[in-house]
Amino acid sequence: MQIDRRTLLLALAAPLYAAAPLKTFSVTEAALVEALCERIIPADDVAGAKEAGVLYYLDAQLAGPLKRFAADYHGGLPALQNFCRQLTGADFLELPAEERTKCLMTLEKTAPPELRAFFRLVVEQTMQGFYGSPAHGGNRNDISWRMLGVEEVMGGHGH
Amino acid sequence: MKLPAVDAVVVGAGAGGGVVAEQLSLAGHNVVLLERGRLQTFAETGHDELRSQRVTVLGNAFGPDDEHYVRLVQVAPGQYRKVLPSEGVYNNVAACVGGGTMSYGAMAWRYMEKDFRMRSTYGAPNGSSMEDWPISYQDLEPFYTKAEWEIGVSGKAGANTFEPPRQKPYPMPPLPLGAEATLLYGAAGRLGWHPFPIPMAINSVAYGGRPACVACPHCVGFACEVNAKSSTAVTVIPRAIATQHCQLKTGATAKRIVMESGSKAAGVEYYQNGVLYEQPCRVVVVCCSATETPRLLFNSATALFPKGLGNHNDWVGRNLQGHGYAGAYGLLEHDVFDGLGPGARVACCDFNHGLPGGLKGGAMIANEFVRLPYLYSQGVIPPDVPRWGLEHKRHMRTYFKRTIAAQGPVQEMPVFENRVELAPEVTDSWGIPTIRIRGRRHPHDLEVARFLSAKCGEWLKEAGAQRTWPKLPGTGVSGGQHQAGTCRMGSDPKTSVVDRNCRIHAVDNVYIADGSVQVNNGGFNPSLTIQALAYWASAAILRQL
Repeated sequence: MQIDRRTLLLALAAPLYAAAPLKTFSVTEAALVEALCERIIPADDVAGAKEAGVLYYLDAQLAGPLKRFAADYHGGLPALQNFCRQLTGADFLELPAEERTKCLMTLEKTAPPELRAFFRLVVEQTMQGFYGSPAHGGNRNDISWRMLGVEEVMGGHGH
Repeated sequence: MKLPAVDAVVVGAGAGGGVVAEQLSLAGHNVVLLERGRLQTFAETGHDELRSQRVTVLGNAFGPDDEHYVRLVQVAPGQYRKVLPSEGVYNNVAACVGGGTMSYGAMAWRYMEKDFRMRSTYGAPNGSSMEDWPISYQDLEPFYTKAEWEIGVSGKAGANTFEPPRQKPYPMPPLPLGAEATLLYGAAGRLGWHPFPIPMAINSVAYGGRPACVACPHCVGFACEVNAKSSTAVTVIPRAIATQHCQLKTGATAKRIVMESGSKAAGVEYYQNGVLYEQPCRVVVVCCSATETPRLLFNSATALFPKGLGNHNDWVGRNLQGHGYAGAYGLLEHDVFDGLGPGARVACCDFNHGLPGGLKGGAMIANEFVRLPYLYSQGVIPPDVPRWGLEHKRHMRTYFKRTIAAQGPVQEMPVFENRVELAPEVTDSWGIPTIRIRGRRHPHDLEVARFLSAKCGEWLKEAGAQRTWPKLPGTGVSGGQHQAGTCRMGSDPKTSVVDRNCRIHAVDNVYIADGSVQVNNGGFNPSLTIQALAYWASAAILRQL
């Protein structure tokens, strides 16, 4: 099979989700969700939501038990983008990490109630993906349980 | 399809129904035990926090499921919202063999003598339908003892200074305390309170053919992997089936109680695998919980009982109660998390009664079950720590193992307008009308909650907490896993639904054996009282059969 240079570069630059088929999000939505989750649980010396695979928790569960919330994401993500553009003049993904956090803090205080409710939902479900069982797609390699020092307690009895 | 007649149909294989099925079948009567849920194994649900009884975000591990069930809950006067079983406001108990006892924390409390005569002890506050029970603690005591020995409860008789008289000790010694409980045990003693190990329906030693607890952290909200937790699914229900007089039918959803012309029930109609069956019997025992039992009575209306069975005087579905928890959280300078279940191991009954300022009732206060990571991330964060971001993550890292908590279930003042009603416009997937729930907690409950929360804060500080913050219940209607009160037991048919034997007034042969019959809900987890009442009701049913 012949692979041209452009395809190869794109494949190398693309995030993981470009390779695996997504169940709920478009590739564009996935990029935004992943960045959003990473501000909710950022990496420090321990991995954050991105490395823990919270996006994959959300993508899988929103096509399963959480499907009643999928429409909130499809509607909420563009609203969040619009809010960000109006506030900063830039796309959320163009901002540096600190500015993204500031934007979300402003959103919590000043955005319309529906957008604030959407953000609360993302916070709650990001925590589920990060602190819940790895069986659901997030908390890869027991990242959060190792961080808390409970990996044996939590994983030791089957999960 | 009409089936051959049996002696009794018991609807609901939970805390109460399991006991009744066992008692009737042990006496040689033929019993059909209907359960809308399934017979579950540990392997199905495992230790998945996001699909436990406490955190249902990915569904109710112990039923009912979101695909088949729905209710309405009031959101504003006259306005209702459809809610699914996995939403907290559904006020779910469970739908599986064992009911709530399959996944409960298994505290096994006796109510106190005053809990049975709240009105004569305190007088009803304005806006409360508080009443005395038609039976006393002394009446129920032998049945509490029976429940403790037949279900299997571990504890230390006499350790609780405020415990009412008992005729027998517990069949098993108490479970070990654990790190948090040890700290709080000492602290309570220094405050002059009277700490003691919580009685638990969990084996501390091998008992009843089941092993001792292995102290795993996944206790409350989960099925027990070794069956050390004394659910009715592993105690009385297998014993009932072993008599060969009890047929357990799962996936069997009761539609209505069929009445003969007049005041006598002829049987129960139920759906199983899409087929409508009629099971004729001599006695019907309804054990569906304080929200589902009224629903079945409403759906069993006849010309003689146009508002529902036993509902001549509009008392069915009234006085819905549960428990709002009042308490406090605290942060220590050292680790205390030991990950050893069940976790909740020390309690004080110093504040169940006799509170200052004319407060009525109160609650036992106890330390908490093992706190798992997701629930902690949502519910155990101090008010000044952000709900997300680096600060939240750092708080989790620093304090997850350094947190202590104490809380208690506030004894609620019954309110006539807090109620379950039929919602005929909305049905479950079998076409059976569902219910709507509405009401508000009595303001007195919140006064008691503030008092208890302050006491819990004091307790945590004495145990070494550098800072504490309160946990207080909301103001909405209370039901949930401790739901009770909707088919009140009483001597006067005008102001109650069942008589002192748990038989529906004006109906010859229909009994209720679940939390519905409780006049009030005590300041305790109610399961052992539900079971004692089920033994009490069984004795009366056996006299009739």
